[in-house]
Amino acid sequence: MMEFITGVYLFFIFVSLYSIFLVLLIYFRNRHNLYLENNTKFFYDISVVIPTFNKERCILETINAIKNLDYPKDKIEIIVVDDGSKDRTAEICREISGIRFLEKSYNSGKADTVNFGVKNSNGEIIAIIDADSYPDKDSFKKMIGYFDDPETGAVTASCFVRNTGKLIEKLQAIEYFLIAFGRKILDFVDSVYVTPGSLSMFRKKVLNEIGGFDTKNITEDIEVAWNILKNKYKNRMCLSAKVYTDVPTNLKQWWRQRLRWNVGGFQTVHKYRKSFFRKSQKMFGLFIVPRFFISHVLSITGFFVFVYLFGRKLIESGLYWTYSIQNGNTIFEVPSLLLIPSVFTFFILLLFCFTIIFTYVGLRTMNKVGLGFKAGFTVLFYLLFYLILYPLVLLHSLYLLIIGDIKW
Amino acid sequence: MVEIAERKYGDLFWKALVLTIVVFLLGVLLGFALERNRISEIEKEFQRIDLQWNDAKLQTLYYQNLEPRFCESAINENLEFANKVYEEGLKIEEYDKANFLTNDIELEKKKYALLKAEFWINSIVLRQRCGADYLNLVYFFADNPDLETRAEQNAQSEILKDLKEKYGKGLMLIPLPIDMDISMINIMRNTYNIDSTPTILINENIKLQGLQDFDSLDAMINERL
Repeated sequence: MMEFITGVYLFFIFVSLYSIFLVLLIYFRNRHNLYLENNTKFFYDISVVIPTFNKERCILETINAIKNLDYPKDKIEIIVVDDGSKDRTAEICREISGIRFLEKSYNSGKADTVNFGVKNSNGEIIAIIDADSYPDKDSFKKMIGYFDDPETGAVTASCFVRNTGKLIEKLQAIEYFLIAFGRKILDFVDSVYVTPGSLSMFRKKVLNEIGGFDTKNITEDIEVAWNILKNKYKNRMCLSAKVYTDVPTNLKQWWRQRLRWNVGGFQTVHKYRKSFFRKSQKMFGLFIVPRFFISHVLSITGFFVFVYLFGRKLIESGLYWTYSIQNGNTIFEVPSLLLIPSVFTFFILLLFCFTIIFTYVGLRTMNKVGLGFKAGFTVLFYLLFYLILYPLVLLHSLYLLIIGDIKW
Repeated sequence: MVEIAERKYGDLFWKALVLTIVVFLLGVLLGFALERNRISEIEKEFQRIDLQWNDAKLQTLYYQNLEPRFCESAINENLEFANKVYEEGLKIEEYDKANFLTNDIELEKKKYALLKAEFWINSIVLRQRCGADYLNLVYFFADNPDLETRAEQNAQSEILKDLKEKYGKGLMLIPLPIDMDISMINIMRNTYNIDSTPTILINENIKLQGLQDFDSLDAMINERL
């Protein structure tokens, strides 16, 4: 058993080192091009599709943010599609001028709602924006140039957190910075694997070609990105284009959101499993699908190994303490393993150092857009505690997937 | 301008792979070196102890056969040796937990177990021939026990450490692993019918199976010293 565990750990370390080196190498080669923009002279017709469901508190602000965009007004069509809201969303939208408001009397999920909006749109480019996301004034201008490349199927932007009051919101702000940075790094190797709903643009022709958003997938923004890549188009990332979004404000909401991301991720990996190491699908088959698959397998295996070892130690310690107390022993053993250097202490320290370097480089890069709060303590908390929650959510997601409890 | 021409990045994947292999191998080599270093540290210590042990054995032989009136020196040498072997045993146990890549430490553990078995016999001889007033406490444990036994053994070890601290030279504490496939220890096991751990053998005639509490062991030792 211990040999198997040692093997798993060494494999995990190898894969982690490879991921980190790859990211750092891509970064060093492209570090001067991170914020490169395409100043196109051509303004495409854009249909902005905003799916809504019970968004009375923010829909107006989102629409206003879109109306205030620095983009020719005659080139933008705003379509709000309501997914059967029970609150005042529909009532508010009906009163807003300059938009097309489409109402569905039934609730059929986000993917279906977006598809409905796309079907009723006129633009060559479709911008999908969540009803609680607020694009920066110049974001469209910065993103649109990427469509000059006929192979571009979608373009996404840097998504930042708007509410950064509580600790959990600050932690997500750091996470979102690093996600944006990481996504831009992947952009340099044609591997942007998600086009988030907060703000992403799509070439309508490509969306139609791939059959739109998958209504069965609960992370339609991951699935559509994979579908685009599978069909040999590119997803691009414009780091300087910004969109702000409201993130979960408590752990329960956060957990639910992450469950959805993970379960959707599993669904997507399963759907595209045949692309695994398919050379003809280039980066999608050779890198994205295997990367997702391996990281999922490793996270889950690593978690079980950790639970096994930790659980064993916990039971053993519990029994030891019980026996010691029952038998009049007052000296308790202090584990000294950590003080003895081994192959694992070396690798763990190395990986931790690289994680700090990645975080530092990422935050330094993203700092051009401003963190908005003093991040020192939060970054430390993020590294030491927040990241530990990931495998727990992943495991819960796996459980939900197994029992078939999949819902948005 | 955003580049439209096909971007070249395939080399980065290979470079990252080469870099990973180099760092990974360096790490593994470092791990091997660390483990090898620990083994050679144990080996050196073993050589020193072995030398001292031979000296102690000869003294026992000498006083036992030629000068039975001057046993004191042999007894002291034996006691000093006992402490060293015991401490080294604890160190090996800790090193064992941090060795993941090599198995060489198993050999060292066996060598130490043999030394301790030999030492036990010597202690019996010294007590019988020289009338030494210490008490032999042999602690039989399993090197690879199940979870519950390990917890019991850990608790028993701590209790025995406490007792050793209390009685010092009066108590000869000899921990012996019973599952390391050493013939000499197997013979001892059969002789005293040791079939579970932890088991304690006091002065070769009192066998206590299972976890023993501090107070009853303390009373038993006190009675015999």
